[in-house]
Amino acid sequence: MEDVESMVEDEIVLKVEDLYKSYNNVIVLKGISFEVRRGETKIICGPSGSGKSTLLRCINLLTKPDKGMIWLEGEELTTRSININKVRQKIGFVFQEFNLFNHLTALRNVSIGLEVVKKMKREEAYKRAMEVLRKVGLEEHAHKYPAELSGGQKQRVAIARALAMNPSIILYDEPTSALDPQLIGEVLEVMKALAREKVTSIVVTHEMGFAQSVGDEMLFMYDGKIIERGPPEEVIHNPKTEIAKKFFERIQELYGREKR
Amino acid sequence: MSFWEEFIAYLMRGWIMTVELLALSIPLSILLGLALATARVYGNKVVSLIAAGFVALLRGLPLVVTLLIVFFALPRIGLYFDPFWSAVIAFIMCSGAYQSEYVRAAIQSIDVGQSLAAQALGMTKLQEVVHIILPQAFRRALPGISNEIIYLILYSSLAYIIGVQEIFATAKHFNSLQFRPIEIFSTTALIYAFMATVATFFFKKLEERLKIPGLEIV
Repeated sequence: MEDVESMVEDEIVLKVEDLYKSYNNVIVLKGISFEVRRGETKIICGPSGSGKSTLLRCINLLTKPDKGMIWLEGEELTTRSININKVRQKIGFVFQEFNLFNHLTALRNVSIGLEVVKKMKREEAYKRAMEVLRKVGLEEHAHKYPAELSGGQKQRVAIARALAMNPSIILYDEPTSALDPQLIGEVLEVMKALAREKVTSIVVTHEMGFAQSVGDEMLFMYDGKIIERGPPEEVIHNPKTEIAKKFFERIQELYGREKR
Repeated sequence: MSFWEEFIAYLMRGWIMTVELLALSIPLSILLGLALATARVYGNKVVSLIAAGFVALLRGLPLVVTLLIVFFALPRIGLYFDPFWSAVIAFIMCSGAYQSEYVRAAIQSIDVGQSLAAQALGMTKLQEVVHIILPQAFRRALPGISNEIIYLILYSSLAYIIGVQEIFATAKHFNSLQFRPIEIFSTTALIYAFMATVATFFFKKLEERLKIPGLEIV
């Protein structure tokens, strides 16, 4: 009995239970609960201010939640005794604004975590970084600095930087929102490829085409709560709440019906 | 020996001493500046307060007074340094305090995203500061630092006050023997101007070398 249970438990990579967070008396998260299984791509969407980014930041403890629990591979992150830096090594984070290290080449942006945090030898780290850069199609740009790359290339380097650490899960915080429209595709392609390789991830995005093609489940957030959840197709096309319905209509007005 | 032969020999002895003073003071003052700024920005309350107090104190003292305190007052509490080391210590503390303000401003100008990205990779605060923040802050502080280094080169002449036989001291002494102030002090002035020029050139080259491609305007 216990064995069966632990096997089922094993499949859950991330578990969030009844998470609360407030800033200056404004409650941003009001009891968020969900689970992410291995290989799953979880999509989170919702209007701005609904708490999506705060939720992601709570998960890798960039922000400290007020209440509630988070487990990563069975280890509780919300205890006082947790080694935050150890946890973060296992959680990749891709920022909306890329946040590449400006003074380092693409290659070193990817390798620095391996060198400094994982204490890998420099040569070994470079080799691994090069492999990952090849994967995101940026091998020939490895020696360029962030300021010499386009937005799409920057974000792909950022994805490579997260991926190189071999994380248990990758959190994407609106990864294409800061990009020019013609650069969004290349980033989504990389993310799709990773999703198909069963890299576990949570993606905060408004790219509905992406959500439908690789998303396993969609969570719709509003006012700090998850008000809808289900297969992306279902949530997008048959939302149960008026709020979600309006939101998706608005998105469709803006982006049209084409799939990415 | 002609006047010039004797003078050059005198001056060279002093100049070597000046170069020794600076060779120690310049790199160590830069390190102190980085350390003080880091302590102020990232240290806990106590560390930050100590660093801020140190900077406020050193910036509030004329360098002459700092030199005299290190050389004459510290021995009273059992800390004895010879004139050379007293000067080096005073220079490092004074210049480091001033430089730390440039570095602190530079640290605070670094986008918070750099810090978040470092944290997200699992870096400790120290790793983040050493590998991500300071390399960028140092580049931004460099013009200010080079300014302070040029001051340091010029005010190293104050070491004569506690008896260090640096170039100004030897020039002054030689003048009291020969009394030819025009030749003696204008040559000395030229040497200081030369050192300041070399420093300016060196820092310009360093800035170019450290320039981040594509990021010319920051």
